[in-house]
Amino acid sequence: MTSPRDAQIPAWLTQGESYDPPRDHDGFLTKSLLSLAGVLARMRLDDGQSTPVSPSTPLKLVLGLGLILLTSLSGNFAFVLVVLCLALARAALLPLRALRRSMAVACAAAGLTFLLMAPALLLGQAHSPLLLGTKVLTTCLVAMGVALSTPAARLTRALRTLRVPATAILTLDLALRSIVELGRTASEVLVALRLRSVGRDRDKRSSIGGVGGVLLLKAGRSAADTADAMACRCFDGTYQAAPDATRPHARAVDAAWLAGGLVLLVLFFYLQGLV
Amino acid sequence: MHIPENYLSPQTCGVIAVAMVPVWVRAARHMREEVPRQKMPLVGVAAAFCFLAMMFNIPLPGGTTGHAVAGTLVAILFGPWTACIAISIALAIQAVLFGDGGILALPANCLNMAFVLPMCGYAVFSLVRRRQARHAGEKDGGSGSSSLGQELRAAGIASYVGINAAALCCALELGIQPLLFHDAAGRALFCPYPLWVSVPAMMIGHLTVWGAAEVVFTVGILGFVRRVAPDFGLARFGGTGLAGASDDVGAQPAPVRTVRAAGPVLGLVAALAIATPLGLIATGDAWGEWSTADLATRVGYTPSGMARGWEWSSLMPDYSLGALPSWLGYVLSAVAGVSLLLIAFRLLSGASTPKVDFGPRDDD
Repeated sequence: MTSPRDAQIPAWLTQGESYDPPRDHDGFLTKSLLSLAGVLARMRLDDGQSTPVSPSTPLKLVLGLGLILLTSLSGNFAFVLVVLCLALARAALLPLRALRRSMAVACAAAGLTFLLMAPALLLGQAHSPLLLGTKVLTTCLVAMGVALSTPAARLTRALRTLRVPATAILTLDLALRSIVELGRTASEVLVALRLRSVGRDRDKRSSIGGVGGVLLLKAGRSAADTADAMACRCFDGTYQAAPDATRPHARAVDAAWLAGGLVLLVLFFYLQGLV
Repeated sequence: MHIPENYLSPQTCGVIAVAMVPVWVRAARHMREEVPRQKMPLVGVAAAFCFLAMMFNIPLPGGTTGHAVAGTLVAILFGPWTACIAISIALAIQAVLFGDGGILALPANCLNMAFVLPMCGYAVFSLVRRRQARHAGEKDGGSGSSSLGQELRAAGIASYVGINAAALCCALELGIQPLLFHDAAGRALFCPYPLWVSVPAMMIGHLTVWGAAEVVFTVGILGFVRRVAPDFGLARFGGTGLAGASDDVGAQPAPVRTVRAAGPVLGLVAALAIATPLGLIATGDAWGEWSTADLATRVGYTPSGMARGWEWSSLMPDYSLGALPSWLGYVLSAVAGVSLLLIAFRLLSGASTPKVDFGPRDDD
């Protein structure tokens, strides 16, 4: 047996490698894969785990919608600034990924609004672009705060608690699940296509139809499977959402949040009276 | 110490802005190299301490008010260059959102409070710590034992020197205006008070009450942070060990430890934010921060450069919110300022590239 000291490196291993693969025309595949991965990452974004002081999901939804409504209706800039302060405080405590997305969306929307309203500056209405821009920034921050801190499944469950018709929730729930499922399938098909077409190939774009067809077939099969499963389980149109896992002091926490919401409501009417 | 708009001539503002650009560039480079990605959000928390310290106005007999800055605190925790960036961002938020300090005067305010203050404060802190180390070495036969009390004593001396150096700079900037910029009749175009008025007016308050307030803020917060979250700052700059105080320029930064116990520190930030309305007890403006109309009443004329000057209308002027009570406006302003600082430094931490230190561990 050869000892490790006597072992020689084979000659082929000492030769340098200069393999430079030709640049492939795979922009379609790369872009599609990246955008799909982005959509899937967003759909699975469940960073916002509830803490002991978080409100229950239905209350969070109601408070979020209420704040957006009040901010939009407010004619007093001070109220918009109060909500902006609170929304900024909430955003500062979001997980980093959610914070980055939330700030990007809110700042882009507010910037666009300000640009669209900029001609008002020339007409002597300097206040309007500022008010609208701040309102858009505030409402976007509130909406993103609610959306990014609540998993999709909890949102549909919250809708059931809010007495939204069962058919609407079922449709929404199935759509959300299907997007994730079909996105995963599309991603697998695109990876398979990339692996099978190594080298220079100008004809990758023609595979769009193939990928779409596979997805359509998969969607049809999934829909049929879901219908069969529903029939087997004697689905009668009622959609029972499982209740939220009970948290310690949930009622007290919800009551505190509700009281905070009421204070904001009173503040809204007080400030509206001053306009 | 926040120089308002139009108190400095545009020429002075321009020269100071040009001088500050390389400082900010160097500070950003230092921060990127020295502060690990995981600790970047904590710099935001330290900057929040500065922001809140500047909201507590403390009165002096005679109707003037002043405040602490806590800049030496940030320098001790994260290094003077990181403190420069942190305080600059806090000052920018104050100027843009709350109208505290002018937009054109922002570089001058940054020079005083974000550069001179932390640099002087940290230099004195290092000096005192080195003397303490030498003293302890002679006493213990070279064992070099240290205590939190000694570090706090050094921080107290350093913060006192730091804020007074910043106040002196501010007084010099204001005081040279009437000497450099006046009309044919000898009337000042901008700040009308010459050096022999501005220097004593600024220094008397800072050598007494506001210097003491800076010491209380720095020592109090540093003592709290060291007790509840020893890993909060960077060990190479402060630390409870004397080794951290030495000027070991070539030394590797301490390995990134898990950031523990940041909760109590955030609790202190929240408590300070709620307590900010105490700053409203002090009525009146700080010296050199009067409105143009108030200044005209004091000196008997409106300096023409100030009368023609540019004014920024901020969203929440003087930390107030329209018709809301001033205490509520103050608390909400504190919440907004602290939130913006935390968001800015958390986004910075997300943007910075992660670094892995494969060097030898110094905690084995």
